[in-house]
Amino acid sequence: MSWGGSVRTASGGPFRHKVQAFVLCMVLLVSTASATLGLALLAASSGPFDRAFAAQHGAEVALSANPARVTAADLAATSHVAGVTAAAGPFAEATVQTQFGGQPFGQLTLAGRAAPGGPVDDLVLTSGHWPDGPGQVVLDDNISGPGPGIGSLNVGSSALTVTGVPGKPSLTVVGFANSITSSADGWVTPGEMTALRAPGTAPAQQMLYRFTAAGSDAQIRADVAAVTRALPAGSVAGASSWLAAQAQAEGNGAIMEPFVVAFALIGLAMAVLIVGNVVSGAVIAGYQRIGVLKSIGLTPAQVVIVYLSRVGWPALAGCLLGAVAGNVIAAPVLHQSAGAYGVGSQQVPLWASVAAPLGMLALTVLAALGPAIRAGRLSAVEAIAAGRAPRAGRGYAAHRLAATLRLPRPVGLGLAAPFARPARTLVTLAAVAFGATAVIFAVGLHSSLSRAEAAQNQSATVPVQIQQDAPGRGPNQSPTAAQFAAMTAALRAQPGTARDVSLYATGVKVAGVTENVTAFAFGGDSSWTGYSLITGRWYRAPGEVAVNTAFLNASGLAVGDTATVNTGTAQVTVRITGEVFEPSKEPRLYGSAQTLPGVATAQNYWQTDVGLRPGISPAAYMSSVNNALGIQGPFAATGPDGGQFYSIASELIGLLSLMVAIAAGLGVLNTVLMTTRDRVHDLGVFKSLGMRPGQVLTMVVCWIIVPAVLAGAIAAPAAVALNTATLHAMAGTAHTGVPASFTQVFGPLRLAVLALAALVIAVLGALLPASWAARARPATALRAE
Amino acid sequence: MRQHSADDVIRFDGVTKIYQAGTPAALADVSLTVAAGEVAAVMGPSGSGKSTLLNLVAGLDKPTSGAVTVAGLRIDTLGETALARFRARHVGIIFQFFNLLDDLTVADNVLLPAQLAGASRRAARARADELLARLGIQDHRDDYPARLSGGQRQRVAIARALVNSPELLLADEPTGALDTATGQEIGRLLRELNAAGQTLVLVTHDPALAQRYAARTLQLVDGRLVPSNAAVLTQAGPA
Repeated sequence: MSWGGSVRTASGGPFRHKVQAFVLCMVLLVSTASATLGLALLAASSGPFDRAFAAQHGAEVALSANPARVTAADLAATSHVAGVTAAAGPFAEATVQTQFGGQPFGQLTLAGRAAPGGPVDDLVLTSGHWPDGPGQVVLDDNISGPGPGIGSLNVGSSALTVTGVPGKPSLTVVGFANSITSSADGWVTPGEMTALRAPGTAPAQQMLYRFTAAGSDAQIRADVAAVTRALPAGSVAGASSWLAAQAQAEGNGAIMEPFVVAFALIGLAMAVLIVGNVVSGAVIAGYQRIGVLKSIGLTPAQVVIVYLSRVGWPALAGCLLGAVAGNVIAAPVLHQSAGAYGVGSQQVPLWASVAAPLGMLALTVLAALGPAIRAGRLSAVEAIAAGRAPRAGRGYAAHRLAATLRLPRPVGLGLAAPFARPARTLVTLAAVAFGATAVIFAVGLHSSLSRAEAAQNQSATVPVQIQQDAPGRGPNQSPTAAQFAAMTAALRAQPGTARDVSLYATGVKVAGVTENVTAFAFGGDSSWTGYSLITGRWYRAPGEVAVNTAFLNASGLAVGDTATVNTGTAQVTVRITGEVFEPSKEPRLYGSAQTLPGVATAQNYWQTDVGLRPGISPAAYMSSVNNALGIQGPFAATGPDGGQFYSIASELIGLLSLMVAIAAGLGVLNTVLMTTRDRVHDLGVFKSLGMRPGQVLTMVVCWIIVPAVLAGAIAAPAAVALNTATLHAMAGTAHTGVPASFTQVFGPLRLAVLALAALVIAVLGALLPASWAARARPATALRAE
Repeated sequence: MRQHSADDVIRFDGVTKIYQAGTPAALADVSLTVAAGEVAAVMGPSGSGKSTLLNLVAGLDKPTSGAVTVAGLRIDTLGETALARFRARHVGIIFQFFNLLDDLTVADNVLLPAQLAGASRRAARARADELLARLGIQDHRDDYPARLSGGQRQRVAIARALVNSPELLLADEPTGALDTATGQEIGRLLRELNAAGQTLVLVTHDPALAQRYAARTLQLVDGRLVPSNAAVLTQAGPA
């Protein structure tokens, strides 16, 4: 027989060893899927805005034009201006006031577009369909209900009422779309636009451009100037740059990146460990057969090839199926991450779909090569002996110790078993530790982010805010004293009002700080508003301020230092009493109106914070206040905003930790299955001596208990450290420090309970092979070798 | 063939075992009895169904049809848990290749069936020590099986089989892996056990062993019992 023929015959073909082939295939499938997802997430976290901007042909400049001064043809002709590489439009544009469910929904800029695609600002429809008739709107996917008083918008069933235009037209939300630069808040059919223009409101047209050079503010200014020159004088009402959207989106994306990368790396490391463990185990399990093959004349080289081919085929099948499964699993995960990064959609890059299976296949070959070469070098007798059982002497002391403990015998036998295969046990321990770390980390990060959300939104202390975004507010109008008085009276008349304080904001100059600082002045007692402090305390007396981290970074000052503030009307010296948790790269300071003279004016009105009496429903309160304030006034009550990032992050964390835990469980399943196969003869002996199925199940599950307990002990501190590091990394990208309370989310008892995740993962992973072992007929097990 | 009796420890009624549909029966319509205190040898060439018969008696496997009653229990209808309890209480098995657990000491190997059966720690240790002394291996109680000779290992296996004081001792080629002198030594040991009232079923392909120690020989050929030429000896048999 030929050299290759001998190898083919000896290997028995890919389908001879069905159970082993199935296990290998499954492990490679899960590992490749995990690796594909991990690589996809790493890719997704790398410059998500820039890649989405390129893919969606984002508008570098969105220009608003006054059609009274310029025709659509003139605007269309600007696509030929030097430097313009692509243009879309003109699209009719209108800014309207809306209501949802009878409550103010805010001001929306709507554009009339016949289709989502185009050479510029290619919109990604994330749900629903594009408007194909009157009374339909697709909203930008950044638009959500403003708080607990407003239910979430549902595609197909939710309708917005446009106020301030004749007939108060209703627009049914038929979908959500992503414009990478948020060129509008929503889109309707071009024919709808006429009905949405308020009488006396200036019509507007929108043109979207891409240029040969638009990478800096200076280039953008030059580009806009070039287009403006090509149009009649006074026809350009305004222009917005993509750079602002980039800065904002990359800020959000950067916050997500640390934990996404952490989960991706955990998934990849686990995949490598599990594949290495299972593949090398499969080759070692074949040593006895290798010995037989050598005794009938196979050369060492042929032995190596036989075993590489024996694991190669199922591994190849697993890798290919895993790449497909990885793409399928990645779809919902990337949908979440796309939402988190504020981009339309994210796909598994082609290189990840190729690199993951190739990498796993290479890993399989590497993991198999060492034991296969060793088997090739062993004599026939040595190979047969090595394949029969773990090395003699290993684990004996553990069994001796277990026998002295007052434990049920199956428990003692199970607890001592892992010491017979220390290398395999260590790898399993590592896989379980990674899985448990991911679960504990996920729970901790969720708690930390919940605290950050509560602190940022002040939802516990300030469940209602009064803001001047109601329809009655005219463009660039400040509320009058009478309107303020009416608003205050309306609040005080509400039996649910516990406290209220008005907040004013404006830009001020601080000595030693080059950029503008935003000063927030409270018109009354603000001690109850519940700002979270990283260090120090909230201001108490005139002359004291609290500041955010960006202020301290920009000024080089520290808590306890003094700063000179020029409010425009006065120069005052203030003492910094505390560092406030306020994620923003804009320096901010907070003080009383008395400390910051000239800030608390009607022009600088920001909002009124309202605290409620115990038991009062914020939704009911807001509804009541809005009825009292009336639709024609400038004020409206709303709930805390800004929770979208946190909810998307929490969902993504949950999904990622679940996947890592499942992969860890499968790793345990495979390890226990391999050990069961190794010890099948012993299992037959145990059964012949009267070991009951329940005792077999207990013993096999106990095989994994010691590694799981150790994994839990390792995972708990590792997860705490990972959570703290990740949170600081996230906070760093959000230009803020972190209050200690955000990272101290693990009490000793909670951490101990969470560490049980390792046990849960291990026991769940071991149960299936344990039940197979328990069900096996003793005579069958005794016959097995 | 003996008539059925209330003293029978083993009773097979028309037992057939087929491992795979379409293949010949490993045991075909076998009916037999073994009385309490008897030594019965099961003989036959390779593939005749000796081990299958032993597995069915021990409840290690189930018949395709027919009834298997051991120690007054109809075991072919029992579930795996009840079968395990049955094995622990009523049957001790001695294997040709000992089947000792290499990672347990001699004492722990012997103790194991008692511990699995839920015997008290003190009683199990006392019984194990008694057996180790009786079988002359008490000096090896803390050794691992790998350090023992073949004869010593088989003595450990016998002690393990006896630790729960089973009504029935099954021995599958108990001397097959031993040299002649050690084999005879083990044979004598089994005979002593039988002399003390232990019912014993001996599976062997060695006619001399069967003739020397067994009161009755059950001859199997192609899964069927055939008339045996073996002499019916007294319960204890000749020395």
